[in-house]
Amino acid sequence: MSHLSRTELVDFIEASPQMPAERAHHASTCNECRAEADALRSIRALAITDEVPEPSPLFWDHFPARVAAAIGEEPPGRSRGADAPAGIRWLRAPLMTWAAAATMAVLMIITVVWRTTLHAPAPVRGPEVATTSTGSGTAAPSAVTPVSDDTDVDADEAWAVVRAAAQDLRWDEVHAAGLSARPGAAEGLALELTADERSVLARLLDKELEKGKRAKG
Amino acid sequence: MGRPDWKVSVTRDRTDAARPAAQALDVGTTTDDLTLVDACRAGRRDAFDLIVQRHQRQVYQLCYRFVGNHEDASDLAQDAFIRAYRGLHSFKGDSAFSTWLYRVAVNVCLNRVGSRAPRLTALEIADRPDLRVERADTMLLRRERSAEVRAAIARLPRKQRAALILRVYHELPHEAIAEIVGSSVGAVKANFFHALANLRKFLRAQS
Repeated sequence: MSHLSRTELVDFIEASPQMPAERAHHASTCNECRAEADALRSIRALAITDEVPEPSPLFWDHFPARVAAAIGEEPPGRSRGADAPAGIRWLRAPLMTWAAAATMAVLMIITVVWRTTLHAPAPVRGPEVATTSTGSGTAAPSAVTPVSDDTDVDADEAWAVVRAAAQDLRWDEVHAAGLSARPGAAEGLALELTADERSVLARLLDKELEKGKRAKG
Repeated sequence: MGRPDWKVSVTRDRTDAARPAAQALDVGTTTDDLTLVDACRAGRRDAFDLIVQRHQRQVYQLCYRFVGNHEDASDLAQDAFIRAYRGLHSFKGDSAFSTWLYRVAVNVCLNRVGSRAPRLTALEIADRPDLRVERADTMLLRRERSAEVRAAIARLPRKQRAALILRVYHELPHEAIAEIVGSSVGAVKANFFHALANLRKFLRAQS
């Protein structure tokens, strides 16, 4: 028969009724188990003899008043987070904690997706779709000349329309119209657009130019 | 027109009349813990005073076992009662109030002993001897042994210490200890076994 386990030894030295009879019999006949049990009993008996020093009788008289003073005027059963710093106290409520965690997770996902989309390489398209139907002005998005994700806007074919449109504009007219920009702001804004967004912007500007030419003609 | 002959007398505060709990609360056995808890929840601050009076000794002794000195033990006991007061709403009455209070106190103690080393009371000032009933040499030997035992207990891991203190000094059943420390009965027994084994090892090393 195997020796007593740790929990069985505890049951044995405490004469627990949960101890099966055959295991108790083994413990009383096995020298090894008995020695182990005796050692545990003796150390428990030694520990029991230690008593907590009794504090001054005045301590017991004053202690409830001390607790009452520490509690002050706060109502009983205050919320669990009441002893937390004011700034994070609301976080101690379980519902608020889960809501905060969910919000943080959603924000992180949005950030990751946004940044991934922003810096994703432009979709590579075959030469068969690289034709521009600027004449009709109703080109489908798939027929628009693909825009490279290159940050060199001057070399970008799609921005040729914007550059052409900007050539006819005079700075004082733009300024008089209430438009002002920091140096490089337009470039910075354009660089933050995705490839698809640039294509759409180019198409819209293309349409506007066509309208202007028709009006002049 | 003469003034009406009204007699106004105030017998007691209106807030006292509105209090739902019994007007006369006593620490005696007639008022159980649940009645005091209900009275406390209803706004009777004095009911909590009675709870403190009733349980202060057990909570203090529990805290003393964890930290080994009066100053820290009294601070921990106060902290335990403050936390119990603030958490009264979470007491559902599924277990005895004393068990719930022990749980609060053990958590306070475990948090404290986890963050700092125990500062044991010096042998010279602990437990003033009563020379009328004990010989000086016997008393000295007993106190030395007590100090060794406390030092050995202070070296135990937290869960083992909790199991040993609650079982040996507060004589709680393993089931109640499991409820207090939030683990299984088997784990409590295993911790108790290891606590005794480690205690023996530490005391052997000391001697």
